[in-house]
Amino acid sequence: MLKFSLLGVGRIGKMHAQNIAINPNCELEYVYDVNNPAAEKIAKEIDCKIAKSPEEAISSSNVDVVYIATATPTHIDYILQAANAGKAIFCEKPIDLDIKKVEACKKELEKYNVPVHIGFNRRFDPSHKSAKEAKDSGEIGKLEKIIITSRDPSPPGIDYLKDSGGMYRDMTIHDFDLMHYILGNDPIEKVFATGSILFDEDCKEINDMDTAMIVMRSRSGVLCHINNSRRAVYGYDQRVEIFGSKGMVISDNQTPSSLQKFTNKITKAQEPIHYFFIERYKEAYKIQLQVFIDNILNNKPTAVNFDDGRNALIVANGALESYQSGKFIKINY
Amino acid sequence: MIKFALLGAGRIGKMHANNIALNPLSDLEILYDINRNASKELSDIHNCKIAKSAEEAINNEKVDAVVISSATPTHIEYILLAAKANKAIFCEKPIDLDIKKVDQCKKDLKKYNVPIHIGFNRRFDLSHRSLKNAKDKGEIGDLEMIVISDRDAVAPSVEFLKNAGGLFRDKTVHDFDLTRFILGNKDPIVEIFAYGENLFCQSAKQTDDLDTAMFIMKSQSGILCHINNSRRAVYGYDQRIEILGSKGMIISDNQTPTSIKKFNKDMNKAEIPIYYFFQERYDQAYKHQLNIFIDCIINNKPTLVNFEDGRIALIIANAAYESLNTGKSVKIKYY
Repeated sequence: MLKFSLLGVGRIGKMHAQNIAINPNCELEYVYDVNNPAAEKIAKEIDCKIAKSPEEAISSSNVDVVYIATATPTHIDYILQAANAGKAIFCEKPIDLDIKKVEACKKELEKYNVPVHIGFNRRFDPSHKSAKEAKDSGEIGKLEKIIITSRDPSPPGIDYLKDSGGMYRDMTIHDFDLMHYILGNDPIEKVFATGSILFDEDCKEINDMDTAMIVMRSRSGVLCHINNSRRAVYGYDQRVEIFGSKGMVISDNQTPSSLQKFTNKITKAQEPIHYFFIERYKEAYKIQLQVFIDNILNNKPTAVNFDDGRNALIVANGALESYQSGKFIKINY
Repeated sequence: MIKFALLGAGRIGKMHANNIALNPLSDLEILYDINRNASKELSDIHNCKIAKSAEEAINNEKVDAVVISSATPTHIEYILLAAKANKAIFCEKPIDLDIKKVDQCKKDLKKYNVPIHIGFNRRFDLSHRSLKNAKDKGEIGDLEMIVISDRDAVAPSVEFLKNAGGLFRDKTVHDFDLTRFILGNKDPIVEIFAYGENLFCQSAKQTDDLDTAMFIMKSQSGILCHINNSRRAVYGYDQRIEILGSKGMIISDNQTPTSIKKFNKDMNKAEIPIYYFFQERYDQAYKHQLNIFIDCIINNKPTLVNFEDGRIALIIANAAYESLNTGKSVKIKYY
């Protein structure tokens, strides 16, 4: 029975708390949040202790794992505290928005020997995973193209956006990681990225974008495309298309039910796809937790590690450099 | 009854001949092909005259319109002959592979006043047209993104590729034109990034060509457009268009010859492969394109795809090559 401390019970933290509670292999020992009432609410629901400080949650001798779902600027601090306390670490993406801080953290972490998992949950989605497996098994032959479509239902608002690091580091970063997951041992080598502000006025204030397109080349020459939008009225669009010499697989969107409607105006119309990430990736988050637990219990390397988090940020920075220069940028890992 | 002269009795010429014969408003009067056997074979089927030269076919007094589906290097010559003879012109893409020749032809055409249609048939596909119509009616609100996947089932031969002008000028031009069709003339493509690889295709390797490519373009209003091409998709001729706007998304999907679906222990709702070849996939589009062309002639209307559309598609293709060669996004200069 692994004992967890959960730091941060916002939107994502709450979901993690529930997943930890229902997983028979782990237990929530402590929650901590700067917002104490939020922590109290979770502690009551799940029957765990409330830590008075992150240090208390992290260094308690009862605790095996520290789960970091707090605001991004706290991530590195908590990672290093947890490493110093000998705890296994699960950290929500991103590690940090500043690559220099990430590098310094990486160096610092070399002193310790704790498992670190970065929360790129999409890898654990059964549908995306099957697509990747079709490629790994050779079913689609030699990989030639990957196309990822990733669109949010609505923009997050200026309060979120201004600290997010911008489209590539906040949103596309998931897709860069998914690309690496599919490519396997064939990293992204070059990136071209562009974007537009088409509907979200907030983006203008902070020099961000609401619509983006990226083309990349892997080391072996696989061509990769990502398109992002901060607003798809029809729902949270999460499609992955993998194309190879023997065929193509598409991991398509999902609807809550399998209802189809036929009237004098439409044929085979489904209800809208899942609205946002908590519904769409419900299973993925649970599976991710179980895989993390398995890795710790069996002393195996984490499925998504610190370097994966670092590499995704490096590609995101390359995308930004490309956008600013108009050039096809080579990525240096 | 619009009487046609057909120049070029190859793969595409045969199809045009058939469509002209099927259309109640048109008739194949005379044809010419450099290969006399091809001419004879086709004229036997359609019971039309065989010309001894392109000029004879073009200048035949009964002829109202000329279809140019001969080899690309003859296109400009035949366009100008037909214009001089005051015949309406339907010219298969491309006008030419050399922009200087195209620009010169444009100048030379100023003295004449004939309808010219360039054969970008995909605009006439019912599915693609419906997508565009729905967008024009406001069904997806303000357009924001276009994504086009255009993949051949089977790569062309070395013989074909060595005169084709390269992937971007031979194949992607269709997608550049489709993008412009969707954007509308008031929102031109202003910038393009292009990249490609040779991953598998021997015939492309032998002709120093690419077989896999991706593009990102930006329109003047900031709309982002992606095209991806492949010279080989084992599952068929992949022709998908996706448009995203403020009120929704529309996809013009692939089509299968039948609508059967199969269910067994290995698969659910499996359909048979999509159409393999452009002649099947775009059969109806080619027929409709001809209809529209005939309508333009009879009713004295401007052609829906004109010389300038052909010229611009080539300009975009050239800019794409510049991007490929420089590793940068390129701003497109139309003049």
